[in-house]
Amino acid sequence: MPVVRLNNLGFRYPGTDRWIVENLTLTVEAGEFLAIVGESGVGKSTILRIIAGLIEPQAGTVEIAGDADRTRRRRAMVFQDSRLMPWRRVESNVMLGLEGLSLTRDDAARRVEGVLLLTGLADLGHRWPHQLSGGQAQRVGIARALAVEPDILLMDEPFGAVDAMTRKHLQTELIRIWQASGKAVIFVTHDIEEAAFLADRVVVLGGQPATVVREERLTVDRASRLESIEHSGISDRLTASLSHALPDQMSGL
Amino acid sequence: MADPPNKVRRIVLGISGLLAFLLIWKLSETLEWARQGTMPDLFAVPRAAIDEWTTGRFLPAIGSSLIHYVWGLSLGTGLGLLVGALAATLRIFDELQNYLARVLRPIPPLAWVVFAIAWFQVSHAGAAFVISIGVFWVNYFATYTAVNNVDPRFHELARAFGQGGYLARTFKVTLPAASPGILGGVRTGVGQAWMTLIAAELLGVPGIGQEINSAAGVGAYEAVVVYMLAISAVYAFSDMIFAAVERVLLKWRP
Repeated sequence: MPVVRLNNLGFRYPGTDRWIVENLTLTVEAGEFLAIVGESGVGKSTILRIIAGLIEPQAGTVEIAGDADRTRRRRAMVFQDSRLMPWRRVESNVMLGLEGLSLTRDDAARRVEGVLLLTGLADLGHRWPHQLSGGQAQRVGIARALAVEPDILLMDEPFGAVDAMTRKHLQTELIRIWQASGKAVIFVTHDIEEAAFLADRVVVLGGQPATVVREERLTVDRASRLESIEHSGISDRLTASLSHALPDQMSGL
Repeated sequence: MADPPNKVRRIVLGISGLLAFLLIWKLSETLEWARQGTMPDLFAVPRAAIDEWTTGRFLPAIGSSLIHYVWGLSLGTGLGLLVGALAATLRIFDELQNYLARVLRPIPPLAWVVFAIAWFQVSHAGAAFVISIGVFWVNYFATYTAVNNVDPRFHELARAFGQGGYLARTFKVTLPAASPGILGGVRTGVGQAWMTLIAAELLGVPGIGQEINSAAGVGAYEAVVVYMLAISAVYAFSDMIFAAVERVLLKWRP
């Protein structure tokens, strides 16, 4: 059953007539890990923000399945720049999305404790954001999103700003967390390898206005993806379709 | 500066600077650089301080000034924060006050003394009113700027996590994010209030300003110095308290 359905989605910035995204149709199944790849500026983040309800599309519809229970939120966002509030301690940052929900103080505290444990931050709840490393801050961002028990986790290049080692570690961690939580993930990245390592399905976005130019379903077990020939074939195809999708003015570079 | 700060060196040089100042002061008096009888005698200042204390003028003057100070500062700070924050967050309010602020802002607080006397007579309220005007503008601009400079990504974050309403955004994002700038304004106001205080009291309201005026009138310049030092001490004390409060409120900063 799809948790998100985008029907003929179109977006342009108010006051302009250049469409960023046009006629985009996409569904995401419950518990699925979907990666959206594309060049910087193609409109990946825009799509994520539309699904998050942060901006309104000018055309098409967004359907989000599930009930609007008062103890959770259906969507939660993880930003590229961890975006922790520096004036709140880690646990208070994680609490942000729970404020205003119908939860007792104890229930909320238990939830925060649970997600901190799940994201490996159990000992860091009392820290200020400036006392965290880049990787830890990003995990707090993930914990904050998981705390609202969403059906869909929206991740906007969440590991784009951390070093390569931390990035690898966080990717593995994310898979573990995703498997433990059972949420659907929409993961935006410009990194094909990252997408091909993490996702069940990769959608390549390209063109101006952006639309889906290729879609690959990844069936190889994640543990063996790095060595699998079949998997590297998929990665190659994705890379090829991504370079085809580059705008004309960039092909000469 | 490449060298790590050296505490002893700072203290020694700081005291040397003070001593050099006192030496120049004494020299200027001995060599009569200023018109005779107008330069306070450095060595007579402690005696003057004892006199002011024993005649029972000193403490009431300080107490009276503190009343003006606390009321003027509180009123000016409260209103400055409120108007600055409203102007920065509500467009209609911003547009309404836009020209008005430009007209009123350049008027020095002391120009309002005339109306302070007309409306409040020579009273505590009049002095507090004049003080509050200067403090108001300092806080208004600091708050307005700090709130306008809040990173819009925090507002997006708040919306993404269900905190997009005006009140939630104001209390969960705007005020904490702007607090360093707002508190910077409050601190400037704490100093600004002292500057205006003395001038406001020169119009005759009891307080340090009035004591300075009457001492100067009879050529008791040492007593003037005593009150000037009192201002300095009270200001240093209030700034120290404020700095401690600020440290607690901004403990989240690296």
